[in-house]
Amino acid sequence: MTAPVTAPAGPGRDVPAVRVLARTGAAEWTRLWTVRATWWFLLAAALVWIGIGALAGLESAGDAAQGDPAWVVASVAAMPAQFLLLVLALTAVTGDHATGGIVPTLQWTPRRTVLFAARTLVPVAVTTTLAVLLALASAGTAWVAARPVLGLPAGEGVEVLATVALVVAAGSALAVGLGFLLRSTAGALIAVVLLMLVLPLFLPQFPYDWTAALAEVLPGSGAAFLLLGEVPGMTQASAVGALLAWAGGALLLGWLRLARDDANR
Amino acid sequence: MIEVRGLTKRYGDVLAVDDLTFDVEPGKVTGFLGPNGAGKSTTMRMVLGLDRPTSGRALVEGRPYAALAEPLRAVGALLDPGAVHPGRTGRSHLRVAARTNGVPQRRVDEVIELAGLGRAARRRIRGYSLGMRQRLGIAAALLGDPRVLLFDEPVNGLDLDGVRWIRALLRRLADEGRTVLVSSHLLSEMQQTADRLVVIGRGRLIADATTEDILRGLGTARVRVRTSRADELAAVLRRHGATVERTGAAELEVGGSSAEEVGELANAARVPLSHLSAVARSLEDAYLALTGSSVEFPGGRTEPAGTATGVTP
Repeated sequence: MTAPVTAPAGPGRDVPAVRVLARTGAAEWTRLWTVRATWWFLLAAALVWIGIGALAGLESAGDAAQGDPAWVVASVAAMPAQFLLLVLALTAVTGDHATGGIVPTLQWTPRRTVLFAARTLVPVAVTTTLAVLLALASAGTAWVAARPVLGLPAGEGVEVLATVALVVAAGSALAVGLGFLLRSTAGALIAVVLLMLVLPLFLPQFPYDWTAALAEVLPGSGAAFLLLGEVPGMTQASAVGALLAWAGGALLLGWLRLARDDANR
Repeated sequence: MIEVRGLTKRYGDVLAVDDLTFDVEPGKVTGFLGPNGAGKSTTMRMVLGLDRPTSGRALVEGRPYAALAEPLRAVGALLDPGAVHPGRTGRSHLRVAARTNGVPQRRVDEVIELAGLGRAARRRIRGYSLGMRQRLGIAAALLGDPRVLLFDEPVNGLDLDGVRWIRALLRRLADEGRTVLVSSHLLSEMQQTADRLVVIGRGRLIADATTEDILRGLGTARVRVRTSRADELAAVLRRHGATVERTGAAELEVGGSSAEEVGELANAARVPLSHLSAVARSLEDAYLALTGSSVEFPGGRTEPAGTATGVTP
């Protein structure tokens, strides 16, 4: 391209890439909150997370040892609740492909890497923030319901909230990447559920070493280890590694598909 | 200004667009005409950077579309009006579009009025008629006040009021000096609105000229002639380079030759004629003749049985 010495004021003028990204991010934010699905998934995630917090709090009001941290409840509740946030992030990507809305989207943002970046950053940031807030609310609810049995130590809280943030951020990135790659809500949803839930749960049940070994490198096993701490054979490092590697791999493949393929074929 | 240079798109074995080259100039409505499946939409999608050309390129205002930082300020386009998220309101859809290109939000309300969307803009797109979706698409196309506009079959699904509104809009946009490319498979529609026509069939360029020139060129007279010695006359005419079609037991239709020439040749061969006339062809016939060999899925011939015997290709 030959850029004129003085930028023209009209169409075709150059805009700093950072500003284009910021605008696209703002548009993605508006896109996310102007469809009802986002609100439903948020509501459902809140119900599950806070609901489990309340139930666990009421249950432990009688019998738990004095001073147990309420944070454990938030961490355990994250295991099922995270899926609702992952689906929120996933549909933020696949919704456009399911409806054909990707055509106007790419008309308005033809720089595909910019769209990819904004469409990854905004949903992942949103779900991660929501996860931290809901985990906080869940632990708070458990603490209130069990009062005065459970404690709410700040140091452990930071650790639990950071873990929840990491797990949901990586899971959302995986969901977003699979959404870009498969371009179908059903297909990406099945892939996420298989990788995050079904395979990590069932593979270790088979009497082979290789199925157990395979299960250990799945992102769902990493999430389970970090949230529940009950996955044999895994370490903190292997759990974080599995989560980040899958998220990064899915994003890379998703980016390649968006950047190279025709808009909606 | 849109410049298309050697644009080609191949899907597996199918050549959807085959080495297309043409310009679309400002200040005119350029009709992009061709039968369904001719490659019009694919061409437009490549111009808009949605599909990657197999070879060739398309420039908008001298740049590839995908290089534009604020494409809506340069190019507005209406493709498939159904390709929108149905759960959003029309207004939200336009707000998103405005955000992406740094267009002020007040412009959203302006184009809602301009496109005649009115209060429907606050309803979810799910409930829109096809006509309303067309209007929403046009509102989005006008959002950035662009110099170049592309409309893919914009009158599809519109009622007569809507069709008139589109025609007037296209004319006004061109009169304001903008570049307007509008596709259609209907010649009659293009005849009403286009100053220039780019005609394609099976992905290839068939014609690129003013509407007037194309219609005049298409309207080459054919000659109908009746004689009891039709076979003999047909042979004579073919020897002289005319194309001959047998349209009845004693009737021929002749192309590439005037009525006078046919009369003189018949006289020289001493073939008596019972009828000789120039056939005025309708524009639709002429268009079909132009694109006929390039229809992807031709329908069966619908002439009454018996009249199509002895057809010479």
